[in-house]
This record gives sequence, C-alpha cells and structure tokens, in this order.
Amino acid sequence: MNKQSLPYTVVFSFIVCFVFVFLLSLTHQATSELVQLNQELRQQRAVLRALAVDFETDDQIRALFADIEAVEYDDMTLYRVQRGGETLYARIFAGSGVWGTINGVLGVDREVTRTVGLEIIDHNETPGLGGRIDEPWFKQQFTDKPLLDGRLEVVREGGTEGQDGKVDAVTGATGTSRSMQTILNRELERLQSVLGGEA
Amino acid sequence: MAPDIPLISLFLASIFTSNILLANFLGMCSFIAISKDMNSSNGLGLAVVVVLTFTTAVNWAVLNYVLIPLDLVYLRFIVFIIVIASVVQMLEMIIDRVSQTLYLSLGIFLPLITVNCAILGVSLFMEIRQYTFVQSTVYGLGSGLGWWLAIMALSAIRKKTEKSKVPAGLQGAGLTFITIGFMAMAFIGFTGLLQVQ
Amino acid sequence: MSDAAKAPGAIMKQNLWTSNPIFMQVLGICSALAVTNLLSNTMIMTIGVVFVTAMSSLTVSLLKSLIPRKVRMVVQTLIIAFYVIIVDIVLRAYLPEISRNLGPYVGLIITNCIIMGRAEAFAQSNGPVLSFWDGMTSGMGYMGVLLTIALVRELLGFGSLFGFQVLPAGFEPWIIMVMPPSAFFLIGLIVWIGKTIMHRQGEPVLEGE
Repeated sequence: MNKQSLPYTVVFSFIVCFVFVFLLSLTHQATSELVQLNQELRQQRAVLRALAVDFETDDQIRALFADIEAVEYDDMTLYRVQRGGETLYARIFAGSGVWGTINGVLGVDREVTRTVGLEIIDHNETPGLGGRIDEPWFKQQFTDKPLLDGRLEVVREGGTEGQDGKVDAVTGATGTSRSMQTILNRELERLQSVLGGEA
Repeated sequence: MAPDIPLISLFLASIFTSNILLANFLGMCSFIAISKDMNSSNGLGLAVVVVLTFTTAVNWAVLNYVLIPLDLVYLRFIVFIIVIASVVQMLEMIIDRVSQTLYLSLGIFLPLITVNCAILGVSLFMEIRQYTFVQSTVYGLGSGLGWWLAIMALSAIRKKTEKSKVPAGLQGAGLTFITIGFMAMAFIGFTGLLQVQ
Repeated sequence: MSDAAKAPGAIMKQNLWTSNPIFMQVLGICSALAVTNLLSNTMIMTIGVVFVTAMSSLTVSLLKSLIPRKVRMVVQTLIIAFYVIIVDIVLRAYLPEISRNLGPYVGLIITNCIIMGRAEAFAQSNGPVLSFWDGMTSGMGYMGVLLTIALVRELLGFGSLFGFQVLPAGFEPWIIMVMPPSAFFLIGLIVWIGKTIMHRQGEPVLEGE
C-alpha cells in the first residue's frame, strides 16, 4: 500500500486521532472522581484553617468538617463552629486580584470584631510578588486580629504587629495588597450585615 | 467568575511589569536565536503581535463555546495547538494574497511561531484566569507588544555587545542570558510607575 | 551522527553533557524556568518532561514507518500533546497542590523544543529502545540544569530545600532569588561555567545559539 497516498494519510490521521483521544478520555474518566474529591478536600481544608481548627491528616479534615454547620443567611452560605464558648463563622469569598480571581475563606467571630483566620484557596497573582499572599506569614497575620471600626487596613510600610485592624502588605505587590484590602473589607461588611443584625 | 480587572491596567501590565518573556519566561527559544539580528527581530516581533491577538481571541471562543459546553476541557492542550497552527496557516495564506512585500518580511517567521511557547502560554493563562473575551484579546495584544518590545531591546543591546571582549565561555548564550536578567530587573522597575502589581 | 556515537553510553554522555539541550543548544527553557523557584515544583515538572520526551520518542520511533510524510509534524505534535495531557491529568488527580502551583506550565511542555527536536532528529531514524534512551537522557540533561537553578533559588530565596528550612532563622531571604531575573542570571552563569570547563577539556564546543 502506498503510504504517501491521500486515502492512507486521511485514514491514518483519523485512526491516530481516534485512538489517542479515546485513551485520553478513558484516563480522564478514571480520575475525574478523584479530582472532584481533591477539590472538595481543598475547600474543606481552607474552611478549617480559616476557623483556626487544627488538623493533620486528610481523614481528620473530613471528620472535623462534618462537625461544622453550614448555615444560610440571605443566599450566603456561612460555616459555623462552636469553640471555647464562642461561635465562629467563615465564608468562602471570591474577588478580583491583579491578574485573576482570588478565592479564599475568611473566618470571623460572632460580632465581627476580629478575624479568626484567612486562607487562600487559589489565586493567579505573580509568583514572588502578589503570590506571596498565599505564604504562611501573610495569612497568620489574620489569626485573631481585632478589627478597627470593623475594618482592616493593609499597610505598605509594615511593622503592624499588635496594632488593631492593620496588617503588613506584601513588599513590592501594591496592587495585590490593595485588592486584598478591598476584597476583605467588602467581605467584612457583608458578614456584619448578616451577623450584626442578630446580636 | 471572570475577574473584574480594568482593561488599561491589564494592557500595561502585560507589556511592562509582567512581560510574557521577562516575567513568565515564555517564547525564549526563538527569542535567543533571532535576537542576533535586528531586522529579523522586528519581523518576528510584529508577527507575534498579530498571531497572539488572533489566537487568543479564537481560543477563547473555542474554549467557551465548544470545550466547556461539551465537557472536553481536558483536551484543551491539543485543541489550542491545532487552533494556533491553523490560524498561523491562514494568516500566511492571507498575507501571501494581500501583499507580497509583507509576505516577504513577515511570512518566513510565521511557521516559527506555531512552536513559540508564548502563544500557547497566553491561551493557557487566559483559560486559568477565566478572562472575558475583551480581557483575553487585550491581554493577547499586550503580551505580543511586550514580547516585541523585549526582543527589539535585546537585539539592540546584543548589537552593542557583539564586539566587546568577554571570556570565551560567556560569549553568545551566556552573555545573552545575563543581559536578559538585567532587562527583567529593569522591567520590574516599571512596577512603581504603573501601580498595577 | 556517526555509528560510534550511537552506543547507549555515548548517547548519554552527549545528552547529559557535550550537547546538553540547555547549556549547549539553549533549547526548551521556556516551559520550565518559571517554576524553578521551588525545588519540589521543579522536580515534578522535570520528571514530567523526562517522561514525555522518553515516551514520545519511543512512540514516534515505533510509528515511524507508518506515518505519512505529509502529516509527520502534526502526528508528532499529537503524540507529544497526548503524553502531556496524561501528565496533566495524573498531576491533577494525585498531586493537586503541585498541579495548582505549576498552573499553565504543564501544558507548555508541548512547546518544549527539546521534545520535538529529539523526535525529529533521533527517533525518526532509530530503533524504539535507543530512541527511548535518547529521549530519557535528553530529558535528564535538562533536569540536571533546572534542578541546579532551583537549588540555588530555593536555598537563597526561601532558606529551604524541598520545603524544609535548612538555613538558620536569622537568614534574610534574598527576594531577588524568588523573582524572575535571578533565573536568567543563574542560567547565564551555568552556561558560562559549562562552556569554560569544556574549553579546558578541549571538547569541541557547539555554538549555542
């Protein structure tokens, strides 16, 4: 058979495409459930971290997450947990960063007077600059941070440790830091509007 | 959710502060080889601008109207590459018909572009960041212009350093990389001016 | 390529050293430099590249007598894309964190010129086993250079190796090492050192452009 002829070329290309795409869809099918589970686990882990719940293994995440109540307030889903006689709330948020959407979870106390924790689920900020919002030192600033007039300020000069309502910005990442400030304050306002009303 | 990013800052950032080549390392292969000659750099740079803008727009449409509805997003790498190859081929034919002079100056660079990682890279960034159609096109155009700017600047610098005496091992690629390093630092310096990152 | 150069040992020496794809031919750097600021990301990324290069060389070599000339490049691209998608799917399922960190750069393995280059220059005219070996060692030459860069960048930029803090707490991280320019400086230095050693040994040096 002539391997350079048109019919052969067409049939060959068709078979090659078919075989490869078929194999790929098999692999995709086989793993899609796992990918789904990974995503759920990632979200659960973020909620736990934002509520400052300690865990070590993936199984613990599932177990601990089962104790967390998901409550609906005006079409917002809040995650609620009781700890040390206190009720804490967390909400998954999405907002625009410099390059794309920043998804994360913010935890607050019942009266929204302090943040309990912050966790980033995903972001597209520049690695080494804005991307550093996902580093522990940045997120730990939000662990039990009292708010000032119900707001947060991301301060460029740094040195904010121990000051109410202020956290350090990421050096060199003005845009991302400003976006974080906007996103977080908008979140705080929303949380205040639903939680504050019940007090 | 599509991010709400002002078009002007997206445009400027993709040219300067987050230059596709200097910050994301994309499109290096042809960059190093071609930047030896300024005329070729100009031609290739222009071709990249045109191809990037078109392919990002077409890939956006393919992604949002074909791949996502059919749940075939996992095939995007193959599909994007095919779209890029076809767009390049079509542009080559159109340019050939429309203007012979343009074809002579641009046409030879087009086949090189199919395997330029910057083209596929921009499409993949567009997908991950969930840009809207307009954002994608602006991002594609900005990245192309940024690449063009970077290759022109580098080939101008290389022209100056060509005759300089440097240690034998550093000649060629070594010196070029270090030059690109300085350029990357300089471009990061735009950050303060543009206030986008 | 002469017949003497086709022995497995000679192929390995060539791919890892005398014609190392990165510092001698300056190929394929685009897809991977960006992930060199952390060792674990670089490790996974380059293992992916080694896998794709080896497997696509093997496949191209197996199919070489069946592929019509007209669609050769397209079929090669398809084969490469196939393996890259496999890598992407596997990472998403089993290493979700790393997959997220690598972002679009996994997909960019497709445009890595080394892979297409080996398929075209070697697998097209050699047997499957040798092609597999050639692809694998080319990928490893690439891995070596990138891991060296990542080692320096992570050590100085974060004070850690593979995520474990190794430098004392008082160490002030070099922010520049986390940022893109450092990768260019380091690769420039590596090319410089590599070429100088080769000049000393009197090896014929390919013009790396």
